Amino acid sequence: MAAPDRDEPLRGALIRVLSRRRNSLGVTAGPAAVWILLLLVAPLAFMTAVSFASFENFQVVWEPTLEHYRDLFVGGTTEYSLGPVGFRATAFEEAVMLSYAVATAATVLCLVLAFPLAYVMARLDDRTFKLVIYLVLLPFFTMYLVRAYSWFLLFGQSGVLNELLGALGVGPVGALEYGVLPVVVGLTHAYFPYMLVTLYASLDGLDFTLLEAARDLGASRVDVVRDHVVPLTLPGIIGGSIFVFIPSVGAFVTPQILGVGKVQMIGVLIENRAIGEATNPTTASAASMVVVVSVVAALFLVFRYVSLDELGGV
Amino acid sequence: MPRQDSADRAEHSATSGRRVSRRGYLAAAGAAGLAAVAGCTGSPGGGTTINIITWNDFAQEPVVNSVEDELGVTVEVEPSTSSTEMFQRMNQGGEFDIAVPNNNLVPRFLDAGIIEPVDMDVVTNYGDIYGKFRSFVDQQFTRDGNAYGVPVRWGWYGYAYNTDELPEHTPSYRVMFEEDYVDADLSGEIIMYDEAAKTMPVAALYLAASENDPSYREALTENDRMTFSEQQLNAMRDLLIEQKPRLEGYISSDTTFIQQFQEGNFLVGHSGRNEIIRLRENQGVENVEFVVPQEGAMAWYETAVVASESDNVETAFEVINEYIAPGTGAELARQGKSPSCNPNVADELDSREQELYGRIDPERFEQFIPFKDIASDVSDKYFSAWEEVKS
Repeated sequence: MAAPDRDEPLRGALIRVLSRRRNSLGVTAGPAAVWILLLLVAPLAFMTAVSFASFENFQVVWEPTLEHYRDLFVGGTTEYSLGPVGFRATAFEEAVMLSYAVATAATVLCLVLAFPLAYVMARLDDRTFKLVIYLVLLPFFTMYLVRAYSWFLLFGQSGVLNELLGALGVGPVGALEYGVLPVVVGLTHAYFPYMLVTLYASLDGLDFTLLEAARDLGASRVDVVRDHVVPLTLPGIIGGSIFVFIPSVGAFVTPQILGVGKVQMIGVLIENRAIGEATNPTTASAASMVVVVSVVAALFLVFRYVSLDELGGV
Repeated sequence: MPRQDSADRAEHSATSGRRVSRRGYLAAAGAAGLAAVAGCTGSPGGGTTINIITWNDFAQEPVVNSVEDELGVTVEVEPSTSSTEMFQRMNQGGEFDIAVPNNNLVPRFLDAGIIEPVDMDVVTNYGDIYGKFRSFVDQQFTRDGNAYGVPVRWGWYGYAYNTDELPEHTPSYRVMFEEDYVDADLSGEIIMYDEAAKTMPVAALYLAASENDPSYREALTENDRMTFSEQQLNAMRDLLIEQKPRLEGYISSDTTFIQQFQEGNFLVGHSGRNEIIRLRENQGVENVEFVVPQEGAMAWYETAVVASESDNVETAFEVINEYIAPGTGAELARQGKSPSCNPNVADELDSREQELYGRIDPERFEQFIPFKDIASDVSDKYFSAWEEVKS
């Protein structure tokens, strides 16, 4: 005869409490909801309010104005043309365009570099897979600043790469000087694991016999990738791209180090307005809000075609 | 019976091996925690505690000890790398008794109404500082006859160059803006500071000379703020945008300057004099020359201010007085390789130190223009112009 369980009454009480929908929601989703409310929604709401406030005598004054938003888009001096349409961009608009261009380049590079590796990893046996993932992720156990400074030593007019090219008689190469290219490389390196792991999760669920069948039926390798692999792993591609693109748009440390102050991405501009010498939290908030809205709009478009459940796996 | 107790403990220890009881563990952890906290807080100097936000030099032990020993107070220094940060932190209120920003930011403290007028009865060394700095104080942050800050240390900006790669030349900002000024390829070999406050005046001084237009210089010198017109700001912006392809980059700290010069990343750099002294004295670099351009040089002076919200205003001014006293002033000068605003401090320095950061002939002050904040009516345009340069 089994001894009576002394925890039984407690367990019963817990089951009774948790069986009510409201209580179970509170226990499961509650902590996360509080976390998001305090650390995401509240700051965002505060930032939204500040972006419409005035700034006088170095203090935020709660008098509503749209002036900060207007200043972001009015009074540009740098001329751009998109086909027949010409416009003058403000520093903010230039920073946004540069950030989106750099983030796009970093995302594409991550995808191109990570996809073949993720594909190979998905086909490896368990032991080799563990070795490969360990070797791939090993550098990322190093602090990011250290890795960024390693890239700093490689680039530049007198950097290792240009010295090497110089010794070979083909350098120095201007593109390797500090600027946009090193920033793209730095961001690609920084966010590569996010793309790799997401793609791997997607490819790991792929039924490779389908690909073999397609090959047996006469499809070329290119056809197999284009018509089968890419469509079946599209959620992983989109998920990985989001994980790389969004932090790249707001990057601050990488453009500061590898751009040596010459690459003013939106994060750099906002930092200068928020806590730099151009201190004005209201304009910094307005600039941040525009970026948040643009990123949310982009995500909204993405989620029209891919459901959240699909991201990260097929 | 102590021996028996010992034996019991030994027996208990033997039977329980190396195990530590929970109580023993907690006691040891608690003791370790207390020791760690004590280690973090350091040994207080006693008396009133004065909280200061300022440059890292002020947090160094010789400086802190000197103040604490002289005044019998405890000094807690929070190091900062930016005058703007000092302003923001003090503007938030309640945390600091003293800030020591650069002079150009002091009007912001004053406009925000967060600092006390200097108590001249307490800051008795004020009368000893160079007359030029007292006149700067009169121009920049004196209201209703009350000065609101005390100059502590100072220095000036010019440019430095690699003497192995650049020939001797008449010092001029033209080296930074004109390709053919010296017989050397400087493409991608120049650095400027990543601050509008430091870089825009360089453009103004260059334009004043190259366009023979004294209004640029007047905008720097005539008022308590920089009063550039919109047209002048546009011209300065265009000049800096034109210069940008020739830059290796914009740097944000003295340490970066020193590191990058040693790595050979640039040949000419806008720089403060103290960076070059550090390069020579601390790093043993010989192939560097610092010069004051013929167009003029901008000068900074750290200025100590006391928070209106401080509960210890008088003690705070005593600490500031100590910063410009000969003994502590000499320690500060050594830490930053920068001269004190009180010439009497030089008496405490040895001959080598005096040569590097000792007294200066007051006539030399005439070539220096103090950094200033931008006038509020053009500040938006000024910062927009700088953002456009950086874009």
